[in-house]
Amino acid sequence: MLKTYSYEQSQALFDRAAKVIPCGIYGHMSPAPLIPPSDYPFYAQSGAGSRFTDVDGNEFIDYMCAYGPMVLGYNHPKVEDAAKKQRKLGNCITAPGPVMVELAEKLTDLVTGADWAFFAKNGGDTTTYAVMIARAATGRKKVVAIKGGYHGVAPWTQGYGHHGVIHEDADNILRIPWNDVAAFEKVIAENPDNVAAFMATPYHHPTFADNEMPADGYWARIEALCRKKGIVLIVDDIRCGFRLDVHGSHAYFGFKPDLVCFCKAIGNGYPISALVGTEALKNDAARVFYTGSYWFSAVPMAAALACITELERINGPKIMLEWGQKLLDGMVEIAKSHGYDLRVSGAPSMPYLRLTDDPSLVLMQKWCGECTRRGAYFTSHHNWFVSTAHNDDDMQKTFDIVDDAFRAVKQGGI
Amino acid sequence: MTSPNHEFVKANLNLYAVLQNLEDLVEKDSDSATFTKNWKETIQFSVMGGPEAYVSFNNGVCKAGRGRAGKATIKLYFLSPAHLNKMFDNKGAPIPLKGFTKLPFLATKFSKLTKRLEYFLKPTDVLLADPNYRALNTLFTLNTAVFAAAELSSHEDFSKASVAGLKKGEVLMKVLPEGPCAHISFDNGAISAQKGDSKEATAFMYMRNVDVANAFLNQKTDAFSAIAKGDVAIWGQMPFLDALSRVLDRIPLYLT
Repeated sequence: MLKTYSYEQSQALFDRAAKVIPCGIYGHMSPAPLIPPSDYPFYAQSGAGSRFTDVDGNEFIDYMCAYGPMVLGYNHPKVEDAAKKQRKLGNCITAPGPVMVELAEKLTDLVTGADWAFFAKNGGDTTTYAVMIARAATGRKKVVAIKGGYHGVAPWTQGYGHHGVIHEDADNILRIPWNDVAAFEKVIAENPDNVAAFMATPYHHPTFADNEMPADGYWARIEALCRKKGIVLIVDDIRCGFRLDVHGSHAYFGFKPDLVCFCKAIGNGYPISALVGTEALKNDAARVFYTGSYWFSAVPMAAALACITELERINGPKIMLEWGQKLLDGMVEIAKSHGYDLRVSGAPSMPYLRLTDDPSLVLMQKWCGECTRRGAYFTSHHNWFVSTAHNDDDMQKTFDIVDDAFRAVKQGGI
Repeated sequence: MTSPNHEFVKANLNLYAVLQNLEDLVEKDSDSATFTKNWKETIQFSVMGGPEAYVSFNNGVCKAGRGRAGKATIKLYFLSPAHLNKMFDNKGAPIPLKGFTKLPFLATKFSKLTKRLEYFLKPTDVLLADPNYRALNTLFTLNTAVFAAAELSSHEDFSKASVAGLKKGEVLMKVLPEGPCAHISFDNGAISAQKGDSKEATAFMYMRNVDVANAFLNQKTDAFSAIAKGDVAIWGQMPFLDALSRVLDRIPLYLT
């Protein structure tokens, strides 16, 4: 049996945090969905490459990658050097730096169909801006989105029934099932000349459920309907972006959106997001007033420029997809050797895993917890992320952990 | 932000979430047990445009139910949900339709029992220092919570929206090691609550002990912190627990 971790310092720090921070740790990094929380570290001390070390000194192979932003590995030298050089010159200054123009040029060169780029801080900034542009361009109200799709935490994205959200916040968001073109046709018919935008992720990656790729011809039909009805086609590529294709996930699936939202992977951990769009929407984007206190900070822009340049140079998505596939194939085999069926869905670079014949998810939760306290950080509710920094040593160690954790779960009487 | 049908929702909570506690009060509180042991009455509550429920007493056993009792000895009528709610707030009286001779029973004996329930449902720090009181308050608060959650999920706009995506599943709330438990079932829009354990649960909320449960259920602790510290353990289908927690947060808007 492998040694298992304990988390006294994390717990102590959380006790302090809970006194002065709502929820102790809020949002997606809250311990609440980490089940059981006693198997998980709450606070990280440092990160390097594919791994991080927590405040108790435990080291983890990281399969969440900071929930996506880490794509080249923590503390990647090229990204850090670029950031360091820019920091010496200046970060938040009264006027933006030339690096903003360079980054915009890089993104428009790299992303298929992109004629301009706009920078913000979070993915949610770009989804909200995209919706505003679509409404400005069309003079329409409604936005069609996918049931279970996630586009940030602004009230319009959350829907009524969540704390702090009122009916009016979400009244103009129409949710339809994924991969259902007929539902899109129906909602267009029910809202004649009033649908401003269709927004979706390149493939469906909800929490707590198998991820679903687009059906054959799905995006082509959605694109055709948008063109025919003058609806702005927005892709939320915040999670998938640069983990499927360096030219954007729409290039991977072969369609042409009007607006694409990027975040997570473009800065390798530096706070920056981007909206890119077509020439046809450039003037509308210019008319919508949208900004923030740190949106022109140059250090994250320099980091992003270095990050996407490196992703392009090494074809990062190809590395992640191939490595992820090998990892997942191995894990499925190990699960089978213990009598478990491990089902993988979504792209191998950001897979969703679950154990079948586990309707309550308790088995999966126990197994992920056992893996984590042996050093492979797995979550049971969310798709995982791999990076270009994950390597064969990580894979072998992960296999050992997976094997040992299945044994522990079995001995635990599940 | 309360619901536009606030009085209707509150009436449902009063009849289906609060009143059922009389069953346990009569069984678990020795004073109430002694007081009611010879009662043989069935009281029907009917609200125009609102819920109906009954509570019956027979040889020391109390049974609360939805709808109409077979043979009520006392029938109380309310002109509106608000009318019923006023009675529960001790600010109004019902219209008796049957059992006129039993009005003294209502005014003295039954009223004394409901006041006893109110005593257990409205804790103070001093009262909670007594372990027996704390145990009963925990039981009543837990049961009130799950029954209220079922009503809110069925009738209140915000709560309905909170649970709208849930298909089929069951949430078990349990006080460890051997404390009370109750569960709430979701089945494509049909929502119901039950006292006791469940073998069908797909989501679980285990409270470490009575003290933790009491503080948690009375909303004296931050739920996220309680979970992170392991005082409250959650397992299983998290979307059910997530949605249910948003519904539970609505209860104080109706019952205080």
